[in-house]
Amino acid sequence: MSVDSNVASMGAGSAKENHLLNFIKNNASLIALIVLVVGLSFADDAFFTERNLSNLSRQVTIIGIIAVGMTMVILTAGIDLSVGSVVGLAAVACTLMMQWGVPAFLAVPLTLIIVGGGIGLWNGFWIAKFNIPPFIITLGMLTIARGLALTLTNGSSVPVKDKSFAIIGGGYIPPMASSFILIACAALAVYSIFREVQQSTAHGVQVNKQELYVNGAVMLGGFALAFHVFTGYKGIPVPVAIFAVIAFGGIYALNNTRFGRRIYALGGNEGAARLSGIDTVRTKMVVYTIISVLAALAGIILASRLNGASPNLGTMFELDAIAAVVIGGTSLAGGSGRVAGTIIGALLIGVLNNGMSLLGVVTFYQLIIKGLIIILAVWFDVMQKNK
Amino acid sequence: MSEVVLEMQGIIKDFPGVRALNNVNFEARSGELLALMGENGAGKSTLMKVLSGVWPSPTYEGDIVLNGEKVRFANTKEAEAAGIGIIYQELNLIPELTVAENIFLDRQFTNSIGKINWNQTFSETQKILTDLGMNDIQPTDLVQNITVGKQQMVEIAKALSQKAEILVLDEPTSALTDKEVKDLFRIIRKLKTDGVCMCYISHKMEEIEQIADRIAVLRDGETIGGVTPIAEITLDQIIARMVGRDIKDMFPKADFEPGEITLEVNNLTVVNPDLPGTFKVKNASFVARKGEILGISGLMGAGRTELVEGIFGAYPQHTTGEVKLNGEVLNVSSPKDAIEAGIALLTEDRKALGLFLDKSISFNTTISSLESISSKVLGIINNQQERKIVREYVDQLGVKTPSIDTVIGTLSGGNQQKVILGKWLNSRPDVFILDEPTRGIDIGAKVEIYKLLNELVQQGVTVIMISSELPEVLGMCDRILVMCEGAIVSNFARDEAKKEAIMAYATGSA
Repeated sequence: MSVDSNVASMGAGSAKENHLLNFIKNNASLIALIVLVVGLSFADDAFFTERNLSNLSRQVTIIGIIAVGMTMVILTAGIDLSVGSVVGLAAVACTLMMQWGVPAFLAVPLTLIIVGGGIGLWNGFWIAKFNIPPFIITLGMLTIARGLALTLTNGSSVPVKDKSFAIIGGGYIPPMASSFILIACAALAVYSIFREVQQSTAHGVQVNKQELYVNGAVMLGGFALAFHVFTGYKGIPVPVAIFAVIAFGGIYALNNTRFGRRIYALGGNEGAARLSGIDTVRTKMVVYTIISVLAALAGIILASRLNGASPNLGTMFELDAIAAVVIGGTSLAGGSGRVAGTIIGALLIGVLNNGMSLLGVVTFYQLIIKGLIIILAVWFDVMQKNK
Repeated sequence: MSEVVLEMQGIIKDFPGVRALNNVNFEARSGELLALMGENGAGKSTLMKVLSGVWPSPTYEGDIVLNGEKVRFANTKEAEAAGIGIIYQELNLIPELTVAENIFLDRQFTNSIGKINWNQTFSETQKILTDLGMNDIQPTDLVQNITVGKQQMVEIAKALSQKAEILVLDEPTSALTDKEVKDLFRIIRKLKTDGVCMCYISHKMEEIEQIADRIAVLRDGETIGGVTPIAEITLDQIIARMVGRDIKDMFPKADFEPGEITLEVNNLTVVNPDLPGTFKVKNASFVARKGEILGISGLMGAGRTELVEGIFGAYPQHTTGEVKLNGEVLNVSSPKDAIEAGIALLTEDRKALGLFLDKSISFNTTISSLESISSKVLGIINNQQERKIVREYVDQLGVKTPSIDTVIGTLSGGNQQKVILGKWLNSRPDVFILDEPTRGIDIGAKVEIYKLLNELVQQGVTVIMISSELPEVLGMCDRILVMCEGAIVSNFARDEAKKEAIMAYATGSA
């Protein structure tokens, strides 16, 4: 193969020259997260304890799960503002069903299908079939779902008596099993990276070694930290395990399936996607259904952890989820972004919340700081793209 | 002889890893039109950006000399103030505003409290338009309601109203009809007598012959052969300078006997949703045969694109009529159905409807045939297989790229088009429709595409090619349909087709 296209080689050349700088630019939120964790560890003794970090990870899961779906929605250049209300409605619906005598193992899937699937299909139908802006449709659903939750409960909380239900949000996988799972996952991750490199080189695709090593190191570091925290404190929390499965599923689906390609194509250039034979209507319907089901799942986990549901659960969650996606580097214009970034974004928000609470920052200030960080993250992202 | 107003001396512009301009030298005189020619990627747009201050002074080497003085522009405003006006290929007008508002955008006539004096704005605009002989444009017309040709005139009027002495026109005719081109040339000739110096960037040889006084050719960022009066150079010599070699056979048409009918279109009608009661395509019927290249000629807006997009299922709500493929009636309600039936459509607007600009070559190549590289059930993509396929197309089509993971937006137009060709070849079509496949790509790549079309035809694919370039249609097609105002008005066999006759039908004057 001849490489005499000047413009094409331009990118490769500059990348080689500024590996480190590029790495910092491309991973700004990750670096910010690490700096924040290290800083907080020094600032407050209570931060870097197994117990606190275990709780922190559990807190992150709610927003994290929604944010995985939100990443897909935003990748299609859409938005879903109704997720917070869906959290509330799902929590209420699930707990009410149990109150009426439906066992937990039936109430949970029923909630996912009826609340999650139903609302998602409704949103997707209007957005995809009639091209109504997602902002409007989901804004409408934001109030509809909240209204439904309030109507169903008449505005009051619903307690849960079924003990088995509490496992979803509050249970732990025993430490022994946890350590086995973590080691297996780490081994699998290393193997898959190894195989990817082999295949790439076999097809003449250049592998950025330095980036690879750093990514590998970060990942193994993450596993080591998880190992330390979870085996040191009760094991992997069940919601964290659920989140991990969903996050992995999201990453895999976006990177390695037809569905993922269609999402990127749809968000990158909808006209071209349609003329390339992509069923844009169906793809959008599926995406909005996925996020609603995930929001319903988050609602169930939350209700389980609280051992009950109030119709106001999940208020403003949509904003945290969108913030996690945006901090993670996904473009609101659609077409570019990664679930891995979103996870980092969710962790960043979680660590920030946790750290500020530990340090005794008044909640009012917390809101202001969080808002500033979102603006900062997007500003940084826009600056990158304008270069 | 008129005086030299603009000199570019030893301009060198480096980007990380690549030298875009390498010692560009030319001078342009007042009252002349200097044609700047070169293949895509030769450095023409970079050169323009240097001249217009987009790349400010210290970022390049060499000197720009205006009227004998060295100038350094820190930004585009300074270049504008120095009298350099640039008409970009993509027009920079605001469609929702009037002609007058666009011309005096940000320089309105206002009174002391900032209220705009509309009477003065309109009358000044009228004066400018009259001076330029643009009598069919009204200052109060909304820009979105006038033709692209007139919009271009407005851009020129705008630049001249800012006292531009040097006018750079970047492929100004790429979206114009023949009549509009004539109008443009009339204006250009008038500007010449007014002493305006024009640099005219174009691919089109016939235009250059008509209006250029002198010519400079750029290749790989260098001016080749100096500035030459148009009378002293032949077309072949120009092409040789541009590509660095002789292109013997511009249209390598291979003779091949057409076979049975593959595509049959009966009474296809596409209504115009914006204007109820009107049609974009009206009762179009035609057939296409296995192993032939069927050309569709016509002016812009004649309904050619709408016809093929209608066949392709791009707007099912607005399309009626019957499409048969290999004798079977197709029920196409989306491009997806068309692709599955064996039709491929390479769209006219590569950027808006063909490419995923910030995605890799791989992504772009396989996006329309993901089923062939993924598992049935979960749709899991086989990366190995994908890379193998993409690799093959990149090699077969000669896409110049460091890697199949390279972002397609960084490639030249010709290479982008090759990737899109690969994408559609990968869907293994029986009927391959190409809408302006060679627009905006360099001559070398054009010839390669023609050769590929020949190969496809020999493999039994039915090729339908829409083109606004008559030489291309005449040179490559076995049969030529001519469209005018939404209807197919004529059908020429290869040996009967003549340029004049096609134009007569296309303009509705036959």
